[in-house]
Amino acid sequence: MRQLAHMLDTRQATSREIVTRYLEQIAQQEPQLNAFITVDEEGALLQAEEADRRRAEGRALSPWDGIPIAVKDNISTAGLKTTCASRFLENYRPLFDATVVDNLRQAGLPIIGKTNLDEFAMGSSTEYSAYGVTRNPHDLSRVSGGSSGGSAAAVAAGEAPWALGTDTGGSIRQPASFCGVVGLKPTYGAVSRYGVVALAPSLDQVGPVATTVEDTAILFSLIAGPDRRDASSSEARPFQVPRWDEQFVTGLKIGVPEEFFGEGLDQEVEQAVRKCLAELESRGAVLVPISLATNEYAIDTYLTLVTAEASSCLARYDGVRYGTRVAAADSNTMFSKSRAAGFGSEVKRRIMLGTYVLSASHYEAYYEQAQKVRTLIKRDVLASFEEVDVVITPTTPTPAFRIGAKRNPLEMYLSDLFTAMANLSGIPAISVPCGKDSKGLPLGIQIMASHFQEELLFKVAYMVERGCL
Amino acid sequence: MTNFDTVIGLEIHVALLTESKFLCSCKTSFGAPPNSQCCPVCLGLPGTLPLINEKAVEYGAKAGLALGCEIHYFSRFDRKNYFYPDLPKAYQITQDAFPLCTNGFLEYYVDDQLFRTEITRIHLEEEAGKLIHSGQSIVDSEYSLVDYNRAGIPLIEIVTAPDIHHPKQARLFLEQLRLLMRYIGVSDTKMEEGSLRCDANISLKPKGSSVLGTKVEIKNLNSFRALERALEYEELRQSQVLSGGGVVRQESRTWDERAGKTMSMRSKGDAPDYRIFPEPDLPPLNLDPVWVELIAANVPELPLARLRRLERDYGLSRYDATFLVNYPEFCELFFQVAERGLGYEDVVNFLMGDYARLAREKGHLSAERISELLTLVDEGTISQGQAKEVLSSLFSSGLSPREIVQERGLEVVDDPGRLEPVIREVLAANPDLVRRLQDGETKLYSFFVGQVMRATQGKADPEVVHKLLRGELGK
Amino acid sequence: MIDRQDVIRMARLARLELSEAEIDQYQQDLAGFVSSGRKLQQVDVSAVEGTSHAVVVTHELRKDEVAESLPQDLVLSTGPDVSDGFFRVPRIVEEQE
Ligand SMILES: [Mg+2]
Ligand SMILES: [Zn+2]
Repeated sequence: MRQLAHMLDTRQATSREIVTRYLEQIAQQEPQLNAFITVDEEGALLQAEEADRRRAEGRALSPWDGIPIAVKDNISTAGLKTTCASRFLENYRPLFDATVVDNLRQAGLPIIGKTNLDEFAMGSSTEYSAYGVTRNPHDLSRVSGGSSGGSAAAVAAGEAPWALGTDTGGSIRQPASFCGVVGLKPTYGAVSRYGVVALAPSLDQVGPVATTVEDTAILFSLIAGPDRRDASSSEARPFQVPRWDEQFVTGLKIGVPEEFFGEGLDQEVEQAVRKCLAELESRGAVLVPISLATNEYAIDTYLTLVTAEASSCLARYDGVRYGTRVAAADSNTMFSKSRAAGFGSEVKRRIMLGTYVLSASHYEAYYEQAQKVRTLIKRDVLASFEEVDVVITPTTPTPAFRIGAKRNPLEMYLSDLFTAMANLSGIPAISVPCGKDSKGLPLGIQIMASHFQEELLFKVAYMVERGCL
Repeated sequence: MTNFDTVIGLEIHVALLTESKFLCSCKTSFGAPPNSQCCPVCLGLPGTLPLINEKAVEYGAKAGLALGCEIHYFSRFDRKNYFYPDLPKAYQITQDAFPLCTNGFLEYYVDDQLFRTEITRIHLEEEAGKLIHSGQSIVDSEYSLVDYNRAGIPLIEIVTAPDIHHPKQARLFLEQLRLLMRYIGVSDTKMEEGSLRCDANISLKPKGSSVLGTKVEIKNLNSFRALERALEYEELRQSQVLSGGGVVRQESRTWDERAGKTMSMRSKGDAPDYRIFPEPDLPPLNLDPVWVELIAANVPELPLARLRRLERDYGLSRYDATFLVNYPEFCELFFQVAERGLGYEDVVNFLMGDYARLAREKGHLSAERISELLTLVDEGTISQGQAKEVLSSLFSSGLSPREIVQERGLEVVDDPGRLEPVIREVLAANPDLVRRLQDGETKLYSFFVGQVMRATQGKADPEVVHKLLRGELGK
Repeated sequence: MIDRQDVIRMARLARLELSEAEIDQYQQDLAGFVSSGRKLQQVDVSAVEGTSHAVVVTHELRKDEVAESLPQDLVLSTGPDVSDGFFRVPRIVEEQE
C-alpha cells in the first residue's frame, strides 16, 4: 500500500487511474470468481475524482486517500445496497453508514463494491449466498472460505487492494487462509460494530483483509478505536502500525497447543505450520508446548451461542419496515411467509437451532450451559497468556475444500474448529499465509494474543511473513 | 363474595419524562406526525445498536428510592423475544433476571385506614410503537397502521406483590402511585395518553385458604375507573364460576369499556415463550453508589409524609390535608400563604372554594395577592361577599386586592351614623312588615338586613345592621 | 428426542413457514445438533458464572440529549407497504401458542 500511496503522492498515478485498474480486474475476473454482490463503478470513480482533487489541492485526508477498498456486504453503506447475501434484503439500501465505513470515508478510501458472503454471515464457504458461490482464485473448483469469502477472494485476485470482513467464529481468518491473504479478527470491542449487520453480537468483530501484514495493520489502524454509538466498543488503545524488527523474535515465547495438532489435521497443513514454527525457533523464539483443553468444547459452545443470538437478531426481518414482504391475510402469516421466502436454508436451520436452545424448556441445558462453558474457555485461553506471549496454531484443519464437498451442516461447522476459541474469549487473532500445499493451495497459520495485543500480533505476523513464505 | 378472598396484583408501566428516547436520541414528545420521531436505532434497522439514556436510569432509580426499594448497583439488560408489528426489533430490551430495584412498598389510605402494598420489583424497559386499527378494535380491523414515534420511549415497569384485596383498594393504590410519580417528577402519568398503564392480575381463593387460585390477567385498563370496574366485574365473574363448581381458566382478558365487561383475549395452555437472554449489545449497568446517593438526596417530600406534616404541624383535617396533598400546586400556595401569619384553616378553605375553580380555568395567583386578599377580610376591611368579587377581578386585572377595593369603593360600612338613615328609610317603606315583625314574626329581621345591604350595595356590615335594627324596632 | 411437534412449535415461535420436507430436514438437523451437543452438557460448570460479554467495558451512559430524527419520508422509504405516514400491516390476530 505504501507503493500505491507513494505513486499518488508523487503524481505518478491518480486515484481515478488506480480505481479504473481495479475495476478492469473486476470486470475480467468476476465472471469466474463472483466475489462481489455489488460493484459501485460510478460511486467509486466519483470518490476517486474527489480524492484526486483533494490531493491536487494539498489536502489529502490521509496517506491512503484515493486507494479503493472492498467492503463485505453485511456492513451498512448509506444508499448503496447492503444485502447480507440474502434475498430478504435484495433491494435494501441503508439510510446510514456503519462507523467503519465512516472511518474509511474519513481516510478518503473510495468504496469499490460490496463483497459476497454466506447469507447473514452464516457459513464457512460462501456457498450459502443467495447470489451464488465465490470461487477460490487459486482453484476455481474450490470454495473461497467464509463467511468473508468475497473479501478474501477479491483481495487475493487483485480485484481490490484490501477489504473489510467480519469474523464471528473464523469468518475472516478461514477465508484469508484459503485464499492466501492476511486477515485479522481484532479484540472484541476494538472496532465499532455500529452498522454491521449482527449475526451474534457477543462474538462479531469487523476486521481487515489484505495481501501483506503491514497493509492489514494499516487498515486496522483506520478502523480501530472507540465509538460512542457502540456500547460494547472499548476505550482507545493507542495503536501504531508496528515496524519490522528483526531482534523482536529473540526470546519470544510461543505457545503451541497440542490439541490443535491432533486427529483431523491435514498433514500438509501440519508440516507447513511446524516448519514455520521451527523457522521462528531458529531465529530465537522459544516454543512452549501448552494445552488448550477446552477447545474440545469450542465448536458446540460457539454453535449454541451463535444460533441463539442469531435467532434473536434475525427476528427483525419481519416484512414490516423494510425488505421482503409476502402478502397475507394476517400479520403472523405475513411474517412467516415473508421470512420463509426471504431466508435461505442455512439461515432457517440456524434460526431453528437458536430458537430451540433459547426456548424455556431448553434454555438452562443449552444456552446457559454454553455461556458457562464459555467462561471456562475464556479462562483457559487467558491463562495461557500468563505463560506465553502468543499462541500459534493452524488457521484451519484443511486447505480450501471443493465446492459442494460439505453437504452435512455439522461437518461445515467444524471449519471453525481452530478459530472459534478467539471469538469466544474475545482475543485478537490473525491468519497469515505460510506456504502452499502440493496442489498449490494456500495454507494459513493463526497467531493469537491476549486482549488488545494487536501490535504484538502484527510483529509476530511480520516474522511469519518474512520467514515462512 | 363472602366465600372467597380476592387476590390482586398490579403491573404498572410508567413512561419516563426524558427529553430523548431510552436507547436513541429521538424526541419523546406526544402528538407529533406519525413516524417523524424515528431514527435507524428505534426503527430497528439492520446493524443499529442501543445506547442507554442516563436520565432514564436516574428516573428509574428515583422511583425505586421513592418506593423504598433496594437499588441494585449492578443490573443487567435482557432481550424478550416476540413478534408484533409495533416491536421494531422483534425483541424488547428489558431487565429480567437483574432488575434495577427490588423490595419496596407503598402506603396509602383506604377510608381512613392505612394500607401497605409491597413492590416486588421495578425494572427499565423500552416502549413499543403505536397501532391504529382500521376498524373499531383490533379484532374487526382488516389492517392496522404502525407509528414508531413511541417506540423506544423509556418505561419503568412496577410490579406489586399479590397483596391487594379489593378493587377499590387497587384503584387507590394506583392513584397514590401516580401521585408519587408526579411528586418525584419522573412522569406525567397521563392514562389517556398511555404514559401510565396498568395490567391487573386477579384470582379468588376460598376464604382463609393460603393457596392462590388461578389468576386472570386483565389488560386495556385505560382509567382508574376502568381498573376498579374491571376488577369488580372479574371478581363477580370468578366467584360465580367457582360457586357453580367451575374452574377459572388462566388467560388474558381485555376490559371492554362500552360493554362494561372483560372478554377473553387469548387462552394459553402455558405462558408465551419469550426466550429471554442477556442483551449482548449492552454491557451491564454498574452504578456509582455516590450517584445513587445524589439521586436519593433529590427525592422530595412524598405524599404520605406531607399528609402527616399537614395534619400534625398545621392541625388540618384529613379532608383538608388530602386536598392539599393531591394538588401540589395548591399545597405550595398554602405553605407560602400560611407563612404570612394567616389562619391555616381559613387559607385551605379559601383555596378549596371559588379559588380552586377559577385557578383551574385561569392559572394560579401569587401567594402575595392571596395573602393580601385574606388579610383584607381578616381586618374587616371587606366582607366575605366582597372578597368574592375582588377574587374574580384579581384573575383578570393586574391590580392588587387593595387597589381593586379602592377602585371599586369596596369597604365595610359599620358607622351607625351612616347606617341609621338607611334603616329608617327601609322601615318606613314597609310598614306592614314592621307590624308583623313587632307581632313576633322575627324571621323578618333577615329580610330587613337584606334590604339594607342592597341599599348600601353590600357595603354594610350585616352584624351592625342587625344590632341597629333591633334598637330601632325595640323603641 | 426431537419430534415433529417440537420442530413445528419452534417454527411457529420463529415465524417461519416450513414445507413438509423442511420440517423433516430440520427435525434431523436438530436431532444431530442435540446429540453432538451432549458433550457440552457433561462439563462441570458448578460455581461458574456465564459469560455474555467477552471483554468487560465500563458502560458509558448517554446524556439525555435530543438529536435530529430522520425525515418521515426517509423513514417510510424502505417500507414495503406504507400509507398516510404509517407502515401498514394486515389484520393482527393473537397467536395461540
Ligand atoms: Mg413490561
Ligand atoms: Zn430513534
